[in-house]
Amino acid sequence: MKPALRSAVLGLAAAAIVGAGSPVAGAGRPAPTRMPMRIMSLNLCTDLLLLQIAPKSRIASVTFMARDGARALFPGLEIAITVNHDLAEDIVKARPDLILDSTLGAPMTRAMARRAGARVVEVKNANSFDDIRQIVRQVGDEVGEPARAAALIQRMDATLATLAAHPPPRRLRVVAWSGGTAVPGKGSLTDAIITAAGAVNVAAQPGIAESSFGVEELLVARPDALLFGGATLGQPSLLDDEGQHRVVRRLYAGRRIAYNDIAHTCGLPQSADSARDLRRALDALPKRSPAP
Amino acid sequence: MSRLVAAHLTVRRSGRAIVDDVSFALEGGGFVALVGANGAGKSTLLAALAGLIAADEGQVTLDGASLAAIDRRALARRRAYLPQNPRAEWPIAVERLVALGLTPHLPAFGGLPGGLEPRLTEAIEACDLVAQRLQPATTLSGGELARAMLARALIGDPQVLIADEPTAGLDPRHSLDTVGRLQALAAQGKLVVAAMHDLTLAARYSTHLMAMLDGRLAAFGPTAEILTPGLLRRVFGVEARITGDAGEALVDYLRPSG
Amino acid sequence: MKSAPNLPGYVLTSAALVALLLAAAGSLFLGRVNLSAADLLHGVLSPNANLAGLVVTELRLPRAVLAILVGASLGLSGAVLQGLLRNPLAEPGLLGVSNGAALGAVISIYFGLAHAFGLATPLLGMVGAMAAGALTFAFGRSSTLTLILSGAAVSSLMSAFLALALNFAPSPYAAYEMSVWMLGSLSERSWDHVFLAAPFIGLGLAILATMGRAIDALALGDVQAQSLGIHLDRTRVLALLGVGLCVGAATSVTGSVSFIGLVAPHLVRPFVGHQPSRTLLPSALLGATLLLLADIGTRVIHTNTELRLGVLTALLGAPFFFWLVVRLRKVAP
Repeated sequence: MKPALRSAVLGLAAAAIVGAGSPVAGAGRPAPTRMPMRIMSLNLCTDLLLLQIAPKSRIASVTFMARDGARALFPGLEIAITVNHDLAEDIVKARPDLILDSTLGAPMTRAMARRAGARVVEVKNANSFDDIRQIVRQVGDEVGEPARAAALIQRMDATLATLAAHPPPRRLRVVAWSGGTAVPGKGSLTDAIITAAGAVNVAAQPGIAESSFGVEELLVARPDALLFGGATLGQPSLLDDEGQHRVVRRLYAGRRIAYNDIAHTCGLPQSADSARDLRRALDALPKRSPAP
Repeated sequence: MSRLVAAHLTVRRSGRAIVDDVSFALEGGGFVALVGANGAGKSTLLAALAGLIAADEGQVTLDGASLAAIDRRALARRRAYLPQNPRAEWPIAVERLVALGLTPHLPAFGGLPGGLEPRLTEAIEACDLVAQRLQPATTLSGGELARAMLARALIGDPQVLIADEPTAGLDPRHSLDTVGRLQALAAQGKLVVAAMHDLTLAARYSTHLMAMLDGRLAAFGPTAEILTPGLLRRVFGVEARITGDAGEALVDYLRPSG
Repeated sequence: MKSAPNLPGYVLTSAALVALLLAAAGSLFLGRVNLSAADLLHGVLSPNANLAGLVVTELRLPRAVLAILVGASLGLSGAVLQGLLRNPLAEPGLLGVSNGAALGAVISIYFGLAHAFGLATPLLGMVGAMAAGALTFAFGRSSTLTLILSGAAVSSLMSAFLALALNFAPSPYAAYEMSVWMLGSLSERSWDHVFLAAPFIGLGLAILATMGRAIDALALGDVQAQSLGIHLDRTRVLALLGVGLCVGAATSVTGSVSFIGLVAPHLVRPFVGHQPSRTLLPSALLGATLLLLADIGTRVIHTNTELRLGVLTALLGAPFFFWLVVRLRKVAP
């Protein structure tokens, strides 16, 4: 086949595949007809997805938080990419042709983006592993790397399958709690991760109020272990300080399990690794249940 | 009997001498009227005599001891001070207001000790405030408030009373009432020093007169002797006529001096 | 003007004490988790560790004690300041001390000092309070008016720095936590907080309790009070010191709680003949009671997210201001 004809056929085939497989959550625009060369991400979660799926050469800019986030997930990773602060000026400077943002992205930014001629794709927040599969596929299709996305999903599913195949002897009761502010309950990603790890999320049980789950409620619920997200991105915040009520310290010494906040806030393939880490930690817990 | 002596007393504000090298000696039993034009330095002099502001030069002594050296509470027990137009800041009952005069006699805590209750009643009766005893001080008329403040000043039985314009804003009847009480105090042997704007009242009731002009002492002596039209011309810049003597004296202002 | 009955001291104090004890009991028996009174009593008395006993001794009791300490601090500080400034609208925040405490505590959290050692936040809160108070005093010591203006200026300065800390928060979570901390809360407080704050609050209360005589004399104005032997300078210093210590320590452990210091003395005043010294003890008791009740409110009112203490006191305190205005309109021409 002549080279020009071959390119045309490949291009049409690509368009067909991309057109068929991408659920665009954004403005209902038609699927891209060519691969985006300058992709910009305005949100930490989309940053991390983008960095795993697209080659660096085609990434124009990620947010300033991506570096710390990426290091937390992939220790040793260095990204040398221009950073943005999710501002209109950044969009102008980066001259992107594709912008990934969360569904909560600032309207001004989106308006700016349209004027700059870039497509805006909104990636929703993941609350389950199904959601994660969906958004990974979505980003893969949008940036033109469906194979890479599929590979990531496959690895994630393998991890989950391993966990499901070897259930723990006893389903331990846990709650993600760091001091009385909102506690992830039913329908949250943390809940999905806990379930995948073979444990029971106390906050998802009927009769428990999700938010404002204080020490009193904790003492009554008597979970076997406490999960805490610790400091996000390594910066201090009150969450650490308030979680240290004397009673909690005493009763749950050695029974507090740290998890990587990012894998719970952002739906990523690594969220399955978080479930695996949680299982390991739960297996390592001392047998005795905390009194009283 | 107390002795209040000013020796080369000077008080400066922003470089200017408001009270300029003033010296005199006052004794108990005298009712001293301090007169002078507005801005002559009367209020400042009275505050310095009361020990409320420090002298920049010279000193004031009470019974031989410099005011600066006397402990504040001890000083408060011996001399009472009434500023111009005294006001009550809270609507407390008259009896509570009068009782405040006993502050320098009271310990840090506690209400009025039982032993001092009779003194309170006495002070209230002495100033004709029995009917207003429980009334909030902020609802008193001008004359009643003046009496209440005076009762507050006198309840501690001070040796010296220093008052700045005690008849300001009072109607004739209450003005007479007030200066009558001041005169009676002096008759009991106390020292009363009062800045006064009403020269007729000063002429009739005071035993001594102190005149200030631009911060300096223009004249000081027994009222009958030194209150003359010449003094009034010098101190106030007015032509005046003084008729009658002692309790019937009358000071008439005729016209500004040339 | 119809005045409230002027009650003898012991009647008012006893009534206030009874109200306080009832509120304290309520605080022990009520909470987010329903435990019957019998269970609770049984739990406390039982020698073995048990849930009910733990809830009472480690959660509700320190919380109640802290509420009493903080409420008394706010009430007494408000009473002293209103007496000192002769202004019924004065409240502990006027001298910039509460904002200074908040700034100190927020700085401790912002720079991660709270992790270095547990005492950091309350201590820095107190340092902030004292610094703010000293600044207010340095600029405003000459008269009552300058003291008020200086306090307003210092308060704004501290607010500006608080906003700066929020603006440049190290992470979005930190910003959220700082804002939420400033709304004020007594939840999840333990004996640790009580032991940290109590000495400073105790000292502050002791200092303020000695000021009765001075603020009474000030009812006659600065000059007459001075003539009665009151040291105006010393009085202002003591007031600032006392307010700084107890409000500073209180704000450091609970965040900003408003209106208690304004409302308590106001409610007490008509019953003591408006005499400043007689408002002190009842204001402390009433302040403690009001804060206990507000705290019970945050636990008993069912909300999805925790209703913060400072929010509740603000929601109840603001209408109080309107009531004041309405009353004033009726009285004034």
